[in-house]
Amino acid sequence: MLEFDGLVKTYGENRVLQGVDFTVAPGQMFGFCGSNGAGKTTTMRIAMGLARADAGQVRWRGRALDDDVRRRIGYMPEERGLYPKMKVAEQLTYFARLHGASTAEATRAVDEWTERLGLTEKRTERVEKLSLGNQQRVQLAAALVSGPEVLILDEPFSGLDPVGVDSLADALLERCRAGVPVVFSSHQLDLVERLCDAVGILARGRIVASGTVPELRAREGGRQLRVVVPDAPAGWAGGVAGVRVVSEQRGDTVLDLAPEADDQAVLAAALRTGPVTHFARREPSLVELFREAVSAA
Amino acid sequence: MSTFGQVRLVAGREISTRARDKGFIISSLVIVLLVVGVMIFQLVSGGTTSSTTIGVVGGNPSVTTALQQSGEAAGTEVTVTDLADEADARQAVEDGDVDAAVLDPAGDAPTLVVESSSDDDGIVRSALAGLSVAAQLAEQGVDLQPAPQLTTTELEPADDDRGLATVVALLGVVVLYGLLILFGQFVAQGVVEEKSSRVVELLLSTMKPWQLLSGKILGLGALGLVQLVLIAVVGVTGALALDVVSVPGQLIGTVLVVIGWFLVGYAFYASVYAAAASLVSRQEDLGSVLTPTTLLLVVGFIVSLQAGQDPGSTLATVTSFVPGLSPLVMPVRLAAGQAPLWEVAVSVAIMLVAIALVIRIGGRVYAGALLRTGGKTKLRDALKAERV
Repeated sequence: MLEFDGLVKTYGENRVLQGVDFTVAPGQMFGFCGSNGAGKTTTMRIAMGLARADAGQVRWRGRALDDDVRRRIGYMPEERGLYPKMKVAEQLTYFARLHGASTAEATRAVDEWTERLGLTEKRTERVEKLSLGNQQRVQLAAALVSGPEVLILDEPFSGLDPVGVDSLADALLERCRAGVPVVFSSHQLDLVERLCDAVGILARGRIVASGTVPELRAREGGRQLRVVVPDAPAGWAGGVAGVRVVSEQRGDTVLDLAPEADDQAVLAAALRTGPVTHFARREPSLVELFREAVSAA
Repeated sequence: MSTFGQVRLVAGREISTRARDKGFIISSLVIVLLVVGVMIFQLVSGGTTSSTTIGVVGGNPSVTTALQQSGEAAGTEVTVTDLADEADARQAVEDGDVDAAVLDPAGDAPTLVVESSSDDDGIVRSALAGLSVAAQLAEQGVDLQPAPQLTTTELEPADDDRGLATVVALLGVVVLYGLLILFGQFVAQGVVEEKSSRVVELLLSTMKPWQLLSGKILGLGALGLVQLVLIAVVGVTGALALDVVSVPGQLIGTVLVVIGWFLVGYAFYASVYAAAASLVSRQEDLGSVLTPTTLLLVVGFIVSLQAGQDPGSTLATVTSFVPGLSPLVMPVRLAAGQAPLWEVAVSVAIMLVAIALVIRIGGRVYAGALLRTGGKTKLRDALKAERV
């Protein structure tokens, strides 16, 4: 288990983290969400030893992270950084070695990852000569070449084109299936929803919601219905008991149902106004859950 | 992996990156060429006694002896050649077979034929004057006794070996100064490169700042040492082969002293340069933070040149104890025989204390400023900043 336990961090007057707790299981992909300045980067930097927590600690397999443990973690900082004048393969070998790989292991891993990330042709090129997209791939390779036990990635998808996003997602899923816990932060919530087994939403220095996306939905409590009745007059659903209209647009209506409300009564009311072309439970998206969680915090 | 594994990896990267760097290779070649050049200059300009060939028309053994003795007094080795007549003499001077020709040296109107005015004039004049006096005295029946041998007592004997050692030490200090600046800059550029490219964050997720710093300083220092030893080997071998020096022991001793001071000086300056460089995030800002330290080096260099002229001066004596200046001044004083061993020991001890301080404070500044990318960090803020 990768455990973030009660992290507190204050910069001057600014209480950035006020007790951040979450756990990532081996083989779990954890999406770390939060508004700008919520403290995602600070949390990750504390884990990587780049900032010191005022209180709390991060543990891997029950052991507080120290330099030895961190060498087994693959990290991608928010501020990307590589030696601009060093050649790709040489640079990746160096990082693999810094993470404790032997020269032979490093060379083999560099060959493998440059091939998998489509950098075979670029092995002997200086990083500064590469396009930004390729530099991003090298950055990812730097986090992966050491065969890390844990991956901590800060905004790994930002700046990637859709093809790049797919190849990165594939690589991460593959590592995940191999039993590596993966934590990544992202603003692309659709991507988080698609990839992650678990999500943590950080707001005002705390995790305000965490769990799998279905769990988060369940915790929202209410159910939503989407009903499309093209000929219905506006406000047709207003009279049904326990129903609140969330949005209504030319017969396309989203309704919020209280626990005691009867969805069949809603269907009956809809049919009375005309033919119903769509009637279904609606799952709130992660974006909506995120807005809800952040505004409630 | 051990703590020192990271240091070794960092050092290895510094060495392999720099050793392939064009600027480094060119500067190495230039320094070696410079040393060889200085030696050749020494060989051509200095040392050998002058010699001259004087032709004589109508000479005799006593003329020859007189000319040679006169030459000896003037520090010139004189070779005497007999010539047939005046025409022959003129031809020989014009052809350069002889440097000067004397006609009728024992007669009443001796003539000296030269291409243009020359030092030989004086040698011949005093030789003929001596001959004439001897001849006149002989005519009067005076029996000449050989002149008493002059014994010279030197109150302050000039020490040729000391002078040579000082020259070697000065040459060593020039190389030392160049290498300290060069490798200090390498350290500083490396620090800023890691900050400006922000690769430092990735590095520090696998090691502590002190490991990164010591790896960098040790790696470049090893490279500097190799370069200095290479220069020393070329210099010493060349000097011995070309016979520029006669006392190899003293030459090698001075060279070893310079190498020792390089190690001490480099440890000091590299740490200061690294700490200063860690305050900025762009290569363009490097000049402003490095200037004070570079000035200290320049002052040390100028004082050491002055010390070469006057190694016993108060300035040289005082500065040879000042940390940062001592690596450049002390080797010159030592070579000139002006520094007793205890003074050298004290100077080294002061320098070692200074290095310990610089590493301690510099390491704090470095660790505090390293992750503050963007803009320039104030020294005070860096000292107060949290260290990871």
